Amino acid sequence: MTLNDILKESWLSISGNKIRSFLTVLGIIIGVMAVVIMVAVGETVQKEITDQFSSLGTNTIVIRAGAAQIGGVRSGNRQTLTTDDAAVIAKLPDVAAVSPVQVAGAQVVYGNKNWSTSMIGAYPDYTTVQTIDMEYGAFFDDIAVRNASTYAVIGPKTAAELGMDKNPVGEVIRIQNVPFVIIGVPKERGDSAMGSNDDMVMIPVTTLKKRLQGSRFPNAVSMIALKLFQDADNSVVIDQISALLRDRHRLKPGDEDDFQIMDMKQILETMTTVTGYLKLLLIAIAAVSLLVGAIGIMNMMLVSVAERTREIGIRKAIGARESNIIIQFLAESIMISFIGSMIGLVIGVGLAQGVGRFILGYHVPFSLWPVVLSISVAVVVGLASGVMPAIKAAKLNPIDSLRYE
Amino acid sequence: MKQIENIISMNKICKSFPLAIGGAQQVLFDVTFDINAGEFVAIMGPSGSGKSTCMNIIGALDTPTSGVYTLYGTNIANMTNDELATIRNEYIGFVFQNFNLLPKRTVLDNVMLPLMYRGMSPDDRIIRSREMLRRVGLEKFETYLPPQLSGGMKQRVAIARALAGNPKLILADEPTGALDSTMGNEILRFFKQLNRDMGITIIMITHEFEIAGYANRLIHIYDGRINYDGKIPTSEDALNKKTEKKARK
Repeated sequence: MTLNDILKESWLSISGNKIRSFLTVLGIIIGVMAVVIMVAVGETVQKEITDQFSSLGTNTIVIRAGAAQIGGVRSGNRQTLTTDDAAVIAKLPDVAAVSPVQVAGAQVVYGNKNWSTSMIGAYPDYTTVQTIDMEYGAFFDDIAVRNASTYAVIGPKTAAELGMDKNPVGEVIRIQNVPFVIIGVPKERGDSAMGSNDDMVMIPVTTLKKRLQGSRFPNAVSMIALKLFQDADNSVVIDQISALLRDRHRLKPGDEDDFQIMDMKQILETMTTVTGYLKLLLIAIAAVSLLVGAIGIMNMMLVSVAERTREIGIRKAIGARESNIIIQFLAESIMISFIGSMIGLVIGVGLAQGVGRFILGYHVPFSLWPVVLSISVAVVVGLASGVMPAIKAAKLNPIDSLRYE
Repeated sequence: MKQIENIISMNKICKSFPLAIGGAQQVLFDVTFDINAGEFVAIMGPSGSGKSTCMNIIGALDTPTSGVYTLYGTNIANMTNDELATIRNEYIGFVFQNFNLLPKRTVLDNVMLPLMYRGMSPDDRIIRSREMLRRVGLEKFETYLPPQLSGGMKQRVAIARALAGNPKLILADEPTGALDSTMGNEILRFFKQLNRDMGITIIMITHEFEIAGYANRLIHIYDGRINYDGKIPTSEDALNKKTEKKARK
């Protein structure tokens, strides 16, 4: 038997019972489609999360003011970080840029419109730490920080929500009745793990603390964000910062840190691991439907062997060897599985790309391995589900088979 | 002088089948006969006499429990299933009572089937099969499916399939059983012609004396034993007298 004979015989057998073959193929289509879509969902989620954290920079470290212990009592409210801490950290050799950060909510008023957004008090180096490029105008400078000037850099989305022109530089907004002059608008950065990067107002940290919050501790900040040089070792710098801050905050050995150091690289690695497991879970769930599809093929092939007992008898009587019968039935199950896998692959990729890109607006990565997976599934499922029926068919006694009605 | 070639030798063939309740039922007892090339032999006997079991062994579809069966000098008693399949494919053409054609394959595909298992190239298969269809007068029906044909045409397709492998032996099991008398006689005349003109050995299983009359030799089996082996008697009564005489002995 040539390969052409095997394929022709398989196709004639499959097409001879169209509805049953279609329903069996449907099981594999759904199974492979589910796996392909779940792979795409998993990869998209993984990519989005990775991109969001990567946009912050893996060489970025954020120090948050944490619980302070006063006389053995933990207090979570106290802001333990100061702009002086930031200044000391800035002197570490591996630190490229540092900015104290104070975050607060803000009701921004522009003309008769208002918009609720987040307000970030920072230093000019915040642009380096967060990789902010300007679309219009400029970021505030050290003088503005020193003078607690009422300058604001407004996110493009915030500007749009307030109904401003494309270039709002020079416009005046009011925050808590304090007028701020817009001096710049950054380029769009999209969303990150920390929320929208385009919907915020950035002002000098001193302005936020002194003019808006009227803080009794104008130097205290909720966070310090810093960027390291590319070749810096995050863990070494973290140890240095930890030692430095513990010393500055006069923490005794055994005392808990009154700050938390968040290493974006570490977070990214953790998130990658978590999303990896998530992806595996999704694929495992989808694989169940594939398993059901495979059982469907095996069921069909077993029924087919029973129905075609006489045909098998005829073939054996005129000279078919056991291996010929095995190959024929295996080829049929592989062909069913292959057809189902290819259709499932096309529909799965089409749905994932179509829904992802055009409806949800995500860039769905197209990877080759669903294709490899589908072909592998086609062969493995076809073989696994066809072996038992094929052997059963090959072992049929030709005399009994010829008598079968 | 023409040399006689022995193609089948059955020597003390016994066959028994295991019973579900235990033990075994013997259906053939020391069956012994030879068949030479070019013979047209009818194996006759009533239902349950063992003639089908005998045919299965001759056709290498089954092996004897004891005894020696040689086909073209090869003892097939201890052959594996695949070796038996090769023997069937190369030496024997089967014609069955109910035709045993594949209903969803065209007439041409059915005729080509044994050639496919023999490993013949697709082009040669088509040429050979068309030639066989022409020989049985069905060359215009090669694209038909068996259910579209009459019983006689189906049996001619089965004969074309049996002839396609160029066998030395055609084994026909009640070949006219599913046909009316006109078509049946047509098929039997065709067998006669094949035997006479092409020298093909034909063994035909039947339970009807009239059909056996087309053969040159009759082997009568009764209760698993041969009780007549010789020329075709002049009538069924004559056969009965001969078999009764042997039974009395």
